[in-house]
Amino acid sequence: MGPCDLDELLSRMPQTAHPMLLSSMSGKEDAAIYKLRDDLVIIQTLDFFPPIVDSPRLYGNIAAANALSDIYAKGGRPLIALNIVAFPCEISLDILFEILIGGYEKVKEADALIVGGHTIDDEVPKYGLSVTGISRPDELMKIEGAKPGDIIILTKPLGTGILTTALKAGFQTEDEIKEAIDSMCRLNRNASEILKTSGVTACTDVTGFGLSGHMLELLKASNVSAEIWLKEIPVFEKALSLAEEGMLPAGLFRNRDYCAEFTHPEEEIDQILLDLFNDPQTSGGLLATIPEENAETALSRLKESDSPEAKAIGIVLDGPPGKMHLKGG
Amino acid sequence: MLIDIDARGLACPRPVILTKEKLAETNKPFNVLVDNEAARENVSRFAKSRGCDVEVSDHENCFLIKIIPPSSSSETMETTKSASLNETKKSTVIFIKTDELGTGDKRLSDTLMKSFLFACTEIDDPPEKIVLMNTGVRLATENEDTVEHLKALEQKGVEIICCGTCLDFYGLGEKLKVGKIGNMYEILSLLIAADKILSI
Repeated sequence: MGPCDLDELLSRMPQTAHPMLLSSMSGKEDAAIYKLRDDLVIIQTLDFFPPIVDSPRLYGNIAAANALSDIYAKGGRPLIALNIVAFPCEISLDILFEILIGGYEKVKEADALIVGGHTIDDEVPKYGLSVTGISRPDELMKIEGAKPGDIIILTKPLGTGILTTALKAGFQTEDEIKEAIDSMCRLNRNASEILKTSGVTACTDVTGFGLSGHMLELLKASNVSAEIWLKEIPVFEKALSLAEEGMLPAGLFRNRDYCAEFTHPEEEIDQILLDLFNDPQTSGGLLATIPEENAETALSRLKESDSPEAKAIGIVLDGPPGKMHLKGG
Repeated sequence: MLIDIDARGLACPRPVILTKEKLAETNKPFNVLVDNEAARENVSRFAKSRGCDVEVSDHENCFLIKIIPPSSSSETMETTKSASLNETKKSTVIFIKTDELGTGDKRLSDTLMKSFLFACTEIDDPPEKIVLMNTGVRLATENEDTVEHLKALEQKGVEIICCGTCLDFYGLGEKLKVGKIGNMYEILSLLIAADKILSI
């Protein structure tokens, strides 16, 4: 579902509020954060989607990495996970086995446990996880808190929406987009650890609403504007040419429309880079704001770890909440 | 309006896939009808990336995308925009507004028309399109001899377009045996786009 439709729907829902609930429904949080004790919060997330690659094992890997990412984006540690499966009865169970093994591998890598799940019969397969994690309250990363002057960091390249659309269209093979698949399979665990210890002021992960949509949420929640350096944003090279060939996923247009009134591109902006800015991601990177004095060290630590593509992509400004000035043609 | 690909209701990237398939089999202009912004933009981008000209018009709450492939042989169609060759073949349209060739004895005029269309099937370089208007539409409906010649031309890749208004007027709409129906807008567009027109 696109961000506009979701906004409309959520606006009609009763608001959930509780002294122990640290997250809110209104902010479109994809994880619930609940304070159990003064030194302990529980983080509960859920994510699932239809296959985006051909290999069932890789699909399982990606779906699990994507679901776990919601915990990492909050600075938490995943503990247990439950599978959510929709699968057509007429397809061989060997395929489902491969998907589940793919999920199991990633959850194991995350040092968490898969403890069960639920399966229904459905025409189009879907797979994902509900993950429970924990954190100390003072180690939580939140979507609000970005301060003017903070440097904005993105840890994974953009373009997975365009590349998986091209895969679906037969314009690319799984081998040809291996780089993006590896990236989607990669846990945000190490990136999360590094950001947590770099004085991070706000953090979220980049998924279906694209860099534009998730950035907008972060800026609105923090009551700040930002200047984005389009040319600095890490992207998968192939996604640029495939965007020119008409491989834009429908979600990209929804994100573009949703963010349009907040997006202020300077003249002569590169349209293709703008497409990437709005491209919906699966298991995308972490988007974080960090005080300027810590940014350089944080970036080099990220690069030495498993986020070689991490880049500083902009700076937080004082200004109307959510406003994004896009620089760089 | 002729719609070659009706991609309404299809999610991306399906409209692009259909356009790609069509482009692989023809080097003649064709129309794609889509019902959303994403498909409009993707199909337009795809066609441009393959060196085609693209014209988009609104059509009953949908977008009609006219795709004009680079006028080159279909072998070069797979290559990208750099290959929009200029050594193009001239596109010739034969515009036939009557079922008789010339004015004179009726039997002679009929025979001449038959033999004219037969000759078209024999020459090395047939026209790109044949447009039939007014009594010309009889050539693709009632006249069995000329229907055969036109079918042979169609086999060779010649596009036959019959004026829909004329078919209706002569009550021949149900009897069309070869070619497709076009309206005045489409016929005028292709006449204007032609490099050479033989008017009969």
